Amino acid sequence: MKRLPRLLLRAGVNYQWRHPWQAFLALAGIALGVAIVVAVDLANSAARATFEVSAKQLRGAATHRVVGPDGRVPTAAYRTLFTTPGLPPMAPVMRAWVEQSGSGRRLQLLGLDLFAEGAFREQLPGAIAAGDLRHWLNQPDRTVISAAAAASLGLSEGDSLSLQIQGRQHALQITQVHGESSAATRDLLLVDTATAEVLLGMPGFISYIDVIAGDRPPESLDALEALLPAGLRLVSIDEQTRSTVGLSAAFELNLTAMGLLALLVGLFLIYNAMSFSVVQRRDLFGRLRAIGTQPHEIYRMLLSEALVLALIGSLVGLLLGALLGQGLTRLVAQTVSELYYRVSVDALHLDPLSLLKGLALGLGGTLLAALFPAWQAASTPPATSLSRSGLERDTLRWIPFLALAGAFLVVLGLALAFLLPGGLASALLGLFALVIGAVLITPASIPLFHRLLQRLPLGGTWRFAVRDLKRHISRLGTATAALMVALSAAVSVAIMVESMRGAVGDWLHALLNADLYVAAEDFGNGARLPDGLAERVLSLPEVAQASRYRNLQLSLRERPLAVVAADLAPQSRAGFRFIQRLPEQVWTAYDRGGVLVSEPLANRVGLHAGDSLPLPTPEGERSFQVAGVFRDFASEHGRVFLPWHSYLPLWKDERINTLALFGNGQDAATLKRAVAPLASIDAPLVFTEARQIYDESLQVFDRTFRVTEVLRSLSLGVAFIGILSALMAIQLQRRKEFAVLRAVGMTRLQLARLILLESLLLGAIAALLSLPTGILMAWVLTAAVQLKAFGWSMPLTLSAAPQLLNLGMGLLAAALAALYPAWTTARHDPAPHLRED
Amino acid sequence: MQIAGLFFVLLLALLLVACEPGSTPSGPGDTVSVSERMGAPPDPGFRRAERPRAFDFPADHGAHPEYATEWWYLTGNLESAQGARFGYQFTLFRVGLTPGPPAQDSPWRASQLYMGHFAVSDIEGQAHHSDERFSRAALGLAGAETGPLRVWLGSWSLQGDPASGVFPLNLQADTADFALQLTLQSGSRPRVLQGEQGWSRKSAAPGNASYYYSYTRLPSAGRIRLGTRWYAVSGNSWFDREWSSSALGEDQAGWDWFALQLQDGRDLMFYRMRGKDGQAQAFSQGVLVDEDGSVSRLNPDNTRLQPTGFWVNPDGVRYPVRWRLAVPEKHIDLQVRAAVPDQEMRHSVRYWEGAVEVSGSHSGVGYLELSGYASD
Repeated sequence: MKRLPRLLLRAGVNYQWRHPWQAFLALAGIALGVAIVVAVDLANSAARATFEVSAKQLRGAATHRVVGPDGRVPTAAYRTLFTTPGLPPMAPVMRAWVEQSGSGRRLQLLGLDLFAEGAFREQLPGAIAAGDLRHWLNQPDRTVISAAAAASLGLSEGDSLSLQIQGRQHALQITQVHGESSAATRDLLLVDTATAEVLLGMPGFISYIDVIAGDRPPESLDALEALLPAGLRLVSIDEQTRSTVGLSAAFELNLTAMGLLALLVGLFLIYNAMSFSVVQRRDLFGRLRAIGTQPHEIYRMLLSEALVLALIGSLVGLLLGALLGQGLTRLVAQTVSELYYRVSVDALHLDPLSLLKGLALGLGGTLLAALFPAWQAASTPPATSLSRSGLERDTLRWIPFLALAGAFLVVLGLALAFLLPGGLASALLGLFALVIGAVLITPASIPLFHRLLQRLPLGGTWRFAVRDLKRHISRLGTATAALMVALSAAVSVAIMVESMRGAVGDWLHALLNADLYVAAEDFGNGARLPDGLAERVLSLPEVAQASRYRNLQLSLRERPLAVVAADLAPQSRAGFRFIQRLPEQVWTAYDRGGVLVSEPLANRVGLHAGDSLPLPTPEGERSFQVAGVFRDFASEHGRVFLPWHSYLPLWKDERINTLALFGNGQDAATLKRAVAPLASIDAPLVFTEARQIYDESLQVFDRTFRVTEVLRSLSLGVAFIGILSALMAIQLQRRKEFAVLRAVGMTRLQLARLILLESLLLGAIAALLSLPTGILMAWVLTAAVQLKAFGWSMPLTLSAAPQLLNLGMGLLAAALAALYPAWTTARHDPAPHLRED
Repeated sequence: MQIAGLFFVLLLALLLVACEPGSTPSGPGDTVSVSERMGAPPDPGFRRAERPRAFDFPADHGAHPEYATEWWYLTGNLESAQGARFGYQFTLFRVGLTPGPPAQDSPWRASQLYMGHFAVSDIEGQAHHSDERFSRAALGLAGAETGPLRVWLGSWSLQGDPASGVFPLNLQADTADFALQLTLQSGSRPRVLQGEQGWSRKSAAPGNASYYYSYTRLPSAGRIRLGTRWYAVSGNSWFDREWSSSALGEDQAGWDWFALQLQDGRDLMFYRMRGKDGQAQAFSQGVLVDEDGSVSRLNPDNTRLQPTGFWVNPDGVRYPVRWRLAVPEKHIDLQVRAAVPDQEMRHSVRYWEGAVEVSGSHSGVGYLELSGYASD
């Protein structure tokens, strides 16, 4: 780029220097927009990185895994593989979450055979081998932990660690603390396979077998597969890990979408700030043009200005984003830990890619936002430049075209989201088209509001305020749009969360209709109820009906699939909500051996009632007819209910995880008193009332969306800055006008009221416009984005509360933004401004 | 081959004794050097080889868990029909962790550990391939049993004939890169009891001895895989059996061990103990086995041993891989040289073990073991 003439450079610098507030607000808009995007990105990448590190550390060099039908593999199968020539190296692994007694802290127990590990996990066996091996191999209850774990548990070598495992108390002796201090080992207890077998109560079984295929010929894997007993499968760890990461991908998407929305708001602010600085300098540009400055020079001057602002704003934004990211990272890690897998986030990972992305968005976005105002400034002839009413005329002429384009974008957005087959990406693209469309329509609505409000029989300051709406449309248009976008994003997310909460609540309520649920303690880790308990419980006079459940972890197309083998009582059946068929049809097919498939699974795999679904069983793969598709929010991977009479002949295992009991009209407490004596001390039971599960589930749900709440407030904050900057710019520009008003007798209070009223009108218009926009966005979010990302659908719940809240927030933001301008303007002595020209 | 046993005590000591404070943890994956740990006393609960014993076969082919260490040690020189020559080493070590049985709460518990070393030397290609494995003796993952003889560590195994119980023996070992399947016949040579009727003393200290017998020439045939290519091979193997609970003297650094099969039908075993001063020690000894199985004892007085050439490993360790070995009263004067200079075993324990070629007064082949050279 050629150097700018000195005069223009000075004009630009002087302008910013004389309007520090405006420069500051533009910078704040850019910085906040960049900061939010960077913070969200950092939080996401930190959570992902931590997960990957710990997953990698645990799996080490293993490339494949031999897994069993119910999460365990017979030890005998491992022996057969280990003693057969020609197979790749392998190692047995036992893994489970256990709980520290007292604190309730969850720790991962990892049972490894040190001597099979040489080629697998590099640090871990070395850590064990440094200790006394004699006792490691032949004495019970020994564990090795990392320095990080020791520090966080407050224990050291030789101490005893009390654990609660499947309802029983155990004490492990810490024989050694190894030097590893990464966060990934903080929750890890290393024990020998023998110790793990005893602690986890799985004699004759291990969790899985790790295999290093390396660059061995594929035949050796084929040979291994051929040796596997029925029910065991060889899976690639990459695929297994990917599906675990896939769990969080949906969650990440939520955050990323929020971050991008925030950026969008940020871009409006930038546009706002840029177009104000142009509008304010129209006189200057007119004079410059009159003395011979070329349009392209003005254009370049404005773009250079934007570039400088963008650079400063983006850098501040990066810094701010890094700080914000720290808090957000913790929040995301907490949510991910609660919902998906455990992650510990120690320090903020400053992912350079995230920072670069933020910088690019800040610079590119600002330049993009400045293009139109700069073009406007450069292209209007000198004569109109000098006339302000010319600008407003110009803008008014443009407005219908913008509105038309906006309407087109709205339609296009909806079509993208609902009609085109393009998956999640097209749904998100549709969402953005919808938002931009709504933004373009916004200025056109101002004259409409103006006409409407004019009819109201109000006088005085009110008439002034209403009249000003139309007079300042070029400035108010963008400010209103920015606030509208922020508010509609907030309202759409509120509606989505509320719809989802409602749907989840209904679903839980219908499904959890039993009076009492009985499970073994530690059922979360797959603990099973004692043999014969179900029969004894059913023989009690207090118990009218019972449903039995057995949870299985199978996999479908290399992704984990939760299968519930269920013997369902009539009342339990009533809790299912089917999508494609009538309940009677579904239950007839179920009783004939068909399976129930959850909606997310049906959507992911493309299953319909009547299709057949192949599942791995101990007797090899079997096909089951799909009896029906039920609404389900339990897992985005999907769930399958398998009839008990189909399960039993194949798995030949009568043990169950959960019993759901229906009483003869007594309350849950009576039922519990009747059943409790059947529990033995050896195998403690957990009794849960439906209400309790319901409350806990919704608590988890609310925690999940805590991050969303935070982001929503952040984007509102950005919008607030936007409206403040717009109002301040307007008020500053109108100082002369206000001085005249003061001079003709308007009091300070009246003037302040005028400013406040104008601002409130603006807020109200933005809030009103945000309602339909927000509802449309919510519709796209729930019916298109959620369906495509998670596979579940839900009815849209519209309640007045978020809408009213939104209106309130819009007005509040507008009022707060007006306070300072109203105060300064009213306080100023009008005389100097009258003399200004 | 008794020396390898002493040598192995080192490993045992290393595995069992905790690391010095501040040092990095070392596991089976780390390489360790021969060190003063050799002097660590064995657990007093293990029996010691204090006097000659009456051997009982085939029971004595199996494990002796009342002793701390034991091994089944096979080496041999093999040749394909096309003349490609190979050496191999296949050793299964048993390590007693504690004298008694382990805790009984889980079948995974073990008081015995097995370690396997497997190497193939490709003499034409001047390459040496080796691997190492470990397993606890539990759940049938590794162990030793008789009737018929079976010693195994995962898929590596030495399996006796179902009818005779022992010979012919089937050896099976595989890794990703190389493998060996070999059948070993008993041949005509009888079993040789080393030392005093199979009681082999290592130093003047009482009980510092082992039980030790050898099969010095077992006709062997089978196949070797290098990469994806298989070679049909035949030749002779040398099979050593030894168990003990003894440790190396504090002044001893290592040893040089020779197992040679001469073309005239005689087999020669000789080892030289080296003190930390680098000098040969009085406890060096060996045997010369005639074709008919008659044995002459070798000792430092009637046997002369002199290194004549060295191979330097990448770390700068000098291994004597060429020797002159002479037994004047038997008219034997041999040049022994490594068939491949680099046959260093870089595993949990670092040593040099490899095929050698014999020339001079007699020609032949054999195996050489050099220990205690690396990073002392």
